[in-house]
Amino acid sequence: MNKNLKNAKNISKMPMPINKKTLEYLAELSRIELEEKSEEKLLNDLQKILEHFEELKEVDIENIEPMAGGTIEKNVFREDKENPKSEVQTSKLTNAFPDEEKGYLKVPPIFE
Amino acid sequence: MDLSNLTIKKFHEGLLNKQFSAFEITKVFFDYIKEKDSQINAYLHLTKDSALSQAEQVDVDLAKGKELGILAGAPLAIKDNILIEGMPATAASKILENYTASYDATVIKKLKEAGAVFLGKTNLDEFAMGSSTENSAFQITRNPYDLERVPGGSSGGSAATVASDMCVAALGSDTGGSIRQPAGFCGVVGLKPTYGAVSRYGLIAMASSLDQIGPIAKTVEDAAILFNAIKGKYPLDATSVNYGSGIRNYGLEDIRKLKIGLPKEYFAPTFQSEPRPEGVGVEGLDKNIASAIEEAIKNLKSLKIEFKEISLPHTKYALSCYYIIMPAEVSANLARFDGIRYARISNFQFPISNLRDIYFKQRGNGFGEEAKRRIILGTFVLSAGYYDAYYANAQKVRRLVKEDFDKAFNEVDVILTPVSPTPAFKIGEKTDDPLSMYLSDIFTIPVNLAGLPAISIPVKSQKSKVNGQLPVGFQLIGKPFHEADILGIGQYYEKISNF
Repeated sequence: MNKNLKNAKNISKMPMPINKKTLEYLAELSRIELEEKSEEKLLNDLQKILEHFEELKEVDIENIEPMAGGTIEKNVFREDKENPKSEVQTSKLTNAFPDEEKGYLKVPPIFE
Repeated sequence: MDLSNLTIKKFHEGLLNKQFSAFEITKVFFDYIKEKDSQINAYLHLTKDSALSQAEQVDVDLAKGKELGILAGAPLAIKDNILIEGMPATAASKILENYTASYDATVIKKLKEAGAVFLGKTNLDEFAMGSSTENSAFQITRNPYDLERVPGGSSGGSAATVASDMCVAALGSDTGGSIRQPAGFCGVVGLKPTYGAVSRYGLIAMASSLDQIGPIAKTVEDAAILFNAIKGKYPLDATSVNYGSGIRNYGLEDIRKLKIGLPKEYFAPTFQSEPRPEGVGVEGLDKNIASAIEEAIKNLKSLKIEFKEISLPHTKYALSCYYIIMPAEVSANLARFDGIRYARISNFQFPISNLRDIYFKQRGNGFGEEAKRRIILGTFVLSAGYYDAYYANAQKVRRLVKEDFDKAFNEVDVILTPVSPTPAFKIGEKTDDPLSMYLSDIFTIPVNLAGLPAISIPVKSQKSKVNGQLPVGFQLIGKPFHEADILGIGQYYEKISNF
């Protein structure tokens, strides 16, 4: 969606991007339960931070390649094969499970 | 036993000369921590039993006539977002309060092989998100120079332990300045290595394209020793690279061949000593910082090192760029904390009817305010309607920030800047306004965006500090994988400034 949002100049054409409804939707996507009383401050903080980002509109980014990070931008592959771990090693991980059955992580149902 | 001047180097000599045994001195450290840390609150967990048995092993090896490495027996403190098998690793988050690490981070594995002793895990801002260590879910760490002030962050616990002699050196992690800024605030040395120089395997990830583990130490020499021990490729971190052999020690002649650049954008107009350009610097450089940086430059000039003014024109935009890219990565990295795989919050009863409940309740109650803010901001900048306007554009600005450095490094070898715009601020001063907290990292953030190595060095040694004066650090930024340049200059700096 919004394929024509090619550069940050378009930010100014948008209404203030975060309101209470957006915030609640983002919290839903993030799987975070927000307390009603903390929402207002969070919204206010986010708006101030987004306002600060407006300065990026001044930068000429025409024909600039995005930088994904790191010092050496090269893909690293490993062999596509199993890497079995000893039972001692795997039990260290499964011990951290709050609930397990036959070595599997047990969780409550996804649907009620 | 005086711990105040005990560096890794002196510790090693003392051990070999039988001034003390590793076991004895480890006990001395724990006695001292018990007394001192009641004021500072730098440690989250102490690991006395394992430390004493590690130390005992070193003594046994020494008695057998085994040759001991420089780090054998050295009592170190480790930031609590770095995994040591069998020990807590909370990242100062409530969501990990019951988590025990199931493996050793690469850096820990390497330090164990070198015979180092781990005294404990140090406090930090939750998941390394912050500049004051006030975002810890567990305790407020205090600056050893002034207990009313913050130690900086996010590696505030590590910097404070080193500054108050509760270890000989420590490890921290640096995503936007989290090693260098607290080192500056606490008057110690902090090195953020080149991205990829040190394996991040076993570091609880915050922003994977920016995070690096590095040393915090009393001297540049110690920082170099620790860096040498932890660097190098590890197969389980695909971004780590083969660093080659140990970094070379520089002579004075080598240092004099290096040219240092002063980026005009990092200096406010209050900066008088050099012929200043007309352009306005980054706003808000404190005058104590400005005069300290002048002093550092003067000291380095006395070594006959050549200086040159340079420009890094996109400096101003680095902060916004960082606060888009970093939360984007945070929102992805912290998705793994679902209240299931890394143990669950205790004392928290609620009826669980489905999986969704666990996610919402655990994350809602387990994450602190700053973590929530960054996860939500990151989710926003990555969302379909805003991805291009924020995230994709920030990645382009990141390229421009990096290219600024590439161009500058055609003219100079090393870049000198302040570490932070002010010395250590008061506890509580910035906690209500996240943006003002973010601004305390303006001088350190560009380095992470560009993946460069940088070191924070105290302008004045502890010995020559006037009572009541807060420490100030200066930053040396090097070319990628040229840690030797900044460590080399740093070591000579220490020699002439009476360390």
